[in-house]
Amino acid sequence: MEATKKGMGSQAKANLTGWAFISVACIMIVIFYFYPMIQAFILSFKSGNGMNLEFVGFDNYIRLFSDTTFKAALFNTMIYLIIQVPVMILFALFISVLLNSSTLKFKGFFRTAMFLPAVTSLVAYSIIFKYLFATDGLINKMLMKVHVLNAPIEWITDPFWAKVTIIIAITWRWTGYNMIFYLSSLQNIDNSIYEAARIDGASATRQFFGITIPLLKPIILFTSITSTIGTLQLFDEVVNITKGGPGNSTLSISQYIYNLSFKYSSDFGYAATVSYSIVIIIIILAILQFKLAGDDK
Amino acid sequence: MKKLLTVVLASFMILTACSNNANTGNAGNTGTQPSGKQEITVWAWDKAFNVGAMEKAKAMYTETNSDVTINVIENAQADIIQKLNAGFNSGTTKTLPTIVLIEDYRAQSFLQAYPDSFFALDEFINAADFADYKIGPTSFDGKQYGVPFDTGVTGLYVRTDYLEQAGYTVADLQDITWDQYIEIGKAVKEKTGKQMLTQDPNDLGLIRMMIQSAGSWYLQEDGTTPHLADNAALTQAFETYKNIMDAGIVKVISDWSQFVGAFNNGDVASVPTGNWITASIKAEASQSGNWAVVPFPTLPNVAESVHASNLGGSSWYVLNVDGKEAAAEFLKATFGSSVELYQTLVTDIGAIGTLKAAATGEAYTTADEFFGGQKAISDLAAWTEQIPNVNYGMHTYAIEDILVVEMQNYMNGTELSKALSNAQTQADSQIRK
Repeated sequence: MEATKKGMGSQAKANLTGWAFISVACIMIVIFYFYPMIQAFILSFKSGNGMNLEFVGFDNYIRLFSDTTFKAALFNTMIYLIIQVPVMILFALFISVLLNSSTLKFKGFFRTAMFLPAVTSLVAYSIIFKYLFATDGLINKMLMKVHVLNAPIEWITDPFWAKVTIIIAITWRWTGYNMIFYLSSLQNIDNSIYEAARIDGASATRQFFGITIPLLKPIILFTSITSTIGTLQLFDEVVNITKGGPGNSTLSISQYIYNLSFKYSSDFGYAATVSYSIVIIIIILAILQFKLAGDDK
Repeated sequence: MKKLLTVVLASFMILTACSNNANTGNAGNTGTQPSGKQEITVWAWDKAFNVGAMEKAKAMYTETNSDVTINVIENAQADIIQKLNAGFNSGTTKTLPTIVLIEDYRAQSFLQAYPDSFFALDEFINAADFADYKIGPTSFDGKQYGVPFDTGVTGLYVRTDYLEQAGYTVADLQDITWDQYIEIGKAVKEKTGKQMLTQDPNDLGLIRMMIQSAGSWYLQEDGTTPHLADNAALTQAFETYKNIMDAGIVKVISDWSQFVGAFNNGDVASVPTGNWITASIKAEASQSGNWAVVPFPTLPNVAESVHASNLGGSSWYVLNVDGKEAAAEFLKATFGSSVELYQTLVTDIGAIGTLKAAATGEAYTTADEFFGGQKAISDLAAWTEQIPNVNYGMHTYAIEDILVVEMQNYMNGTELSKALSNAQTQADSQIRK
């Protein structure tokens, strides 16, 4: 009797200790995450300049559908997403398989080299890219010296090439980062599976598509979701390389939110509405990716 | 267990204590005011120009008012805007300065959006002492909030040596139209291989200068209604801009350092811009004697267009915080009235103010060897008086971002009237209040 009572007491005590430990973190999360989220949601139903905000109901959300700048930003972001994310994922996958090869020499050096871009500051690398890709920059000069080009490409000031420049920049910056995820999970794949496949006479390509890809599926899903979110939040590169230009041909949604809040007469209400549109888009895309990957868990 | 509860409760207490602390801070910095010693904090951008000018004013004022400490802090313009917006919205004025510099194009968006956050200066300065065109942007609701500072009066800076090679003298460039400018540009390109000017396709400063020379703006005179579709000056400015771009006399750039680099390296024969560029042009001492400043070209076929316009320019504002009276006294004694200070600014910094009385001073009439002996400051000051007064309103940059896109459509073949009416529709839906 005495013993059971004491036992229950210590279990309750352990529970309480556990709750006490996580309560601090929970309270912090509520105050610094959920509270601002709710406030931002309320804000998204208001409009006005600076402090003079008033409730406008769903006006802001209706305005989204007729806002050509928002549509342009959304279109640009989707272009980045559709072209850049798959290219980067495939590229990262390819490099990680090469780097995982057991016959490769100087593995440490190559891995570090591939990962280094992910360590650089976003602003610093953006500025360097901007000058590399300037009309009279290094890239154009090189291409003209080797006679690939006759006239310089307007990498920054032409609407089409500006998008290409942004895609090249973010691919350079983030491929190594994603590669690390693949590399670490490749190392967890048991070598005996490949050995068995080789004995059965499977080619390297067959091994890649039959073993590597299926076993990496959860990681591919994870990286494609984080990359999607990252692309939707794209800001530093666009602001520093092209300032969203020429026109608004490289404008990203995040930059538009910044412009609405700080560049124009600030309308924080409408800016919050645009922010919430990103949230909605991210949720839809994440659900879509889970469905496409066929993960029922 | 009790201990744990205490810890949890204690952390609650700390959290609430923190927020309480912040709240009392907001309510006003009571009790922190030092008696006797006054402290004024100033935010401005551009170390050589605005910050430099403020340092001169500080040096002059503290000589006679030793009880005032003035801290001049350099911030990028974008950072100042962001910090002001964040500060005003949160209601925490603690982190904000006493005096701040705001660009004239943006002034109304602050004055109208945060009317209680600024301190009216009617008792300290007389608006009539300053150039007329500066009063619109710096006042609101009948009250004068800003102390007008530098003029953004525009000039056409030209390389006399390149023009000579192309067969022109400075006299040929006096009082020209943009059409004539294009012809000269083509000749310069042919004879010297140099481009006539730089343009950043993302920055329609040239358009703004052109339309203000005709007394027109993106908005109607009320400062809120977009005026794009039936704006004769804007239509002509768009056409002229396209003609300039199509003439093959433009070096396309994408930022400020390339802009400055182009004329410092001698890549372009002219720079049509605000007079604040003087310091950057003079920075390349080897080009001394090869430059001149001529009146800004006029828009062809627009009768109202004059040979004077404005680009940029900013003014000082006092925030409604502790120490505002001291700050206002300081501005009154310096930028608000001191002819002497403006002479120093012209000589040492090259900043031309908008205090009318200052233009009679000696420093304004000195010949400048860099500009081949031209009395450049005196010329610019004279043009300042001719700048047409327009109401910038509060949406300059929002509309400009719309126009940049439509300009591109127009350059790519869209009909001009259609491009502008598209812009009008977008502006109408974005600026509804």
